[in-house]
Amino acid sequence: MRNIKNTTSEKKKLPESKRQFCSFQMAGHYFGVDILDVKEIIDEVILTKIHHAPSEMLGFVNIRGHVHLVLDLRLLLNFSTKSIDESSRVLLFHPNVGESFGVMVDQIGHMIEVEEKLIEYRLSEDNISGIARDFRKSELEKGVCKLKDKLLIILDASKFLNAVDLKR
Amino acid sequence: MKQTSIATKIIFFSCGIALLLMVVGCVLFVQYEKVLLNKMTEEKEVEKQNFYIYRLYQEKTALAEQLTAQINALVKQMQSVDVIYSQTFEFQIQSLLMHPMVVAAEFCDEGGHSFLAAWKIKTVQTAKAFPKSLKLKHHMVIQKQTEIHSIEMIRVYYTNEKIEQKLNILKEQDIKGLHDTRQNIYNKLNGLFLAQSLGSFLVVLLLGATLIITLRWLILNPIQDLMNISTQLKKLDLSVDVQTSTASHELNSLALALGQLLDGFRKIIADVKENAGLLSGSADNMTGIAEQLTSHSEEAESKANNVAEASVQISTNIHTIANSVEQISDNMEAVSSTSSYLFNNINSVANAIEELSSSLSHVGERAQNGTKIAEEAVVLAKKAGKTVNTLRYAADEIGGVSEFIQRIAHKTNILSLNATIEAASAGSAGRGFSVVASAIQEFAEQSSRAAKDITDRIASVQKGTYEIENVFKDVSTIIREMNESSESISFAVIEQTKAVQEIASNALEADERARNITVSIEDLSRTVNDAADNTAQVAMGANDVSTRIQGVSESISFNRQISHQINETAIVLNHLSGNLKFMVDPFKVSHQSKSNNNNKE
Repeated sequence: MRNIKNTTSEKKKLPESKRQFCSFQMAGHYFGVDILDVKEIIDEVILTKIHHAPSEMLGFVNIRGHVHLVLDLRLLLNFSTKSIDESSRVLLFHPNVGESFGVMVDQIGHMIEVEEKLIEYRLSEDNISGIARDFRKSELEKGVCKLKDKLLIILDASKFLNAVDLKR
Repeated sequence: MKQTSIATKIIFFSCGIALLLMVVGCVLFVQYEKVLLNKMTEEKEVEKQNFYIYRLYQEKTALAEQLTAQINALVKQMQSVDVIYSQTFEFQIQSLLMHPMVVAAEFCDEGGHSFLAAWKIKTVQTAKAFPKSLKLKHHMVIQKQTEIHSIEMIRVYYTNEKIEQKLNILKEQDIKGLHDTRQNIYNKLNGLFLAQSLGSFLVVLLLGATLIITLRWLILNPIQDLMNISTQLKKLDLSVDVQTSTASHELNSLALALGQLLDGFRKIIADVKENAGLLSGSADNMTGIAEQLTSHSEEAESKANNVAEASVQISTNIHTIANSVEQISDNMEAVSSTSSYLFNNINSVANAIEELSSSLSHVGERAQNGTKIAEEAVVLAKKAGKTVNTLRYAADEIGGVSEFIQRIAHKTNILSLNATIEAASAGSAGRGFSVVASAIQEFAEQSSRAAKDITDRIASVQKGTYEIENVFKDVSTIIREMNESSESISFAVIEQTKAVQEIASNALEADERARNITVSIEDLSRTVNDAADNTAQVAMGANDVSTRIQGVSESISFNRQISHQINETAIVLNHLSGNLKFMVDPFKVSHQSKSNNNNKE
């Protein structure tokens, strides 16, 4: 049973039922977020650390006079943390996703356009039994997209900020 | 006792068995008698009891008859009297109770009721009726009806107990007497058993003793004698006498046969001994003669040998002389050939040295040429090093440029990504722009890849230039070394040329002298050859003499060998006769004195 979620991006979907994702790599896995949620990709970031904040919050960044919060997506997805290198990028999200924030990713990939039918959404919370539910504490993953040679895990950007709050 | 032990054992064993059998027989017999006795006693007891029962019955009947008679007499007496007083009744009843067995009596009237009763407990008592305490039911009773007036019935109670008691006592006494007699018989039987076993033991003892004595006297003593003789024979003593008694049983005949055999043996051994002594003496004589012969022949042989040896020595000496002369001749020839060879060699050496001298001067020129070329090479190598260095600097600069290009490509990539995002957010209006953005992104990626390629290649160029620099350094050092060695070669060649010229002049002189030596050695060789021929003839003559003398010596030694063989045979003979004597000696033919006499003879 497939339960298609009605998000803001869903309403604006393309007429040929095609969707675009902004892909990136982390710890050898491929992830993607809806391109309509992304505002901008930034390199050469200068982070200002926030003291006494949770470890997922890497700091603030100043983009053309506006201050944005930067989260560590590795920690949110339960990978070990990694220092920032020259291939690290920051994805800034649209204001309708959350108030002026972005995430740090290991390496940015291409913009991918896929058919709607290639995407498998995850089961809704009500239809999974006890043990499986315990393993899915975070709801960051929205589904999986089957590409030619690999799988793209589709993340829900609107849950990122809540994930930090939940951990507190 | 050792010799008789088996016989004794047999006797003892058989005696023991006999004794045991006898004792067992006695025990069985006595037991049988006891059983018989018991049976008899039991039968007697039963008989006695039957007899007493019968007697009891008889006595009881007798008592009843007696009492009936008494009552009848009493009735008769009372009938005869006209008037009967009560005292009479009392007197009558008391007279009834006089009888010891009667316990009580009563007279009854016409109604059947007793009017007078008398009873006896300790003394006789009378009353109208029996008291109720008196119990008469278990007593015997006699009733008599009378025709007398006033007396209807007379009842008399009496007892049999006393009779039974008496009879029981008698019976017990009888049975006791029977048991006593049985016990007596038992005791007597035990005595009998003891006497019988003692008697049988004595009889067996007597039998055993007689058996042992007769066996010893008749069989064991002769066997002992035979054993003694056999032990002496075991020691090879034939001088023992076999004594035979006149009695003629089997052992005696055996002894007789043994004696005859011994006599025969004694005679044969004595003869053999005598003959062995004679043989030994003659063998001794023969040995002496053979030894004399051997010593004579040995003397002759040694003399002949001396002569032969001397002649052989002479012959060998002459031979050695001949050989040495021949050798000298051979040596001279060898020397002659060697000297001519030497002459040739020296000639060729002189020629070779001249050639060497000319080639050395050529080498010197070449070496000087090499030195010049090496110097030029050093200069060129230095120049090449400098060029390579410049190349390396240029490569470094190219590397910097390509890095810059790469950075621009990255930026372009980010820019194109952002453009794509913007185009996507613009919806269908931005679709055209999105295509452009992706084209830009592709170009950015291509330029990035090209820049990376350039960087890699430049890096390999840098590595190559570094290696070339190192190689140039090595080459210049090698050229320098070559330069030095070629200089030293040209010096050495000059010196060698001088030395070779001196050697050439000396070789020419040596050539002339060698020719002189060859001529004189050929003369000497001819003279020595003549001497060798003469000495060979002398040696042949000496050889002939030596072989003849050796023939004489060989025939003498053959003689000596034969005499030796004779001597050995005599010794063997002597040895054999000694052996024979030794073998026969242990047999003692006669008594000690006689054998001594034989030895003296």
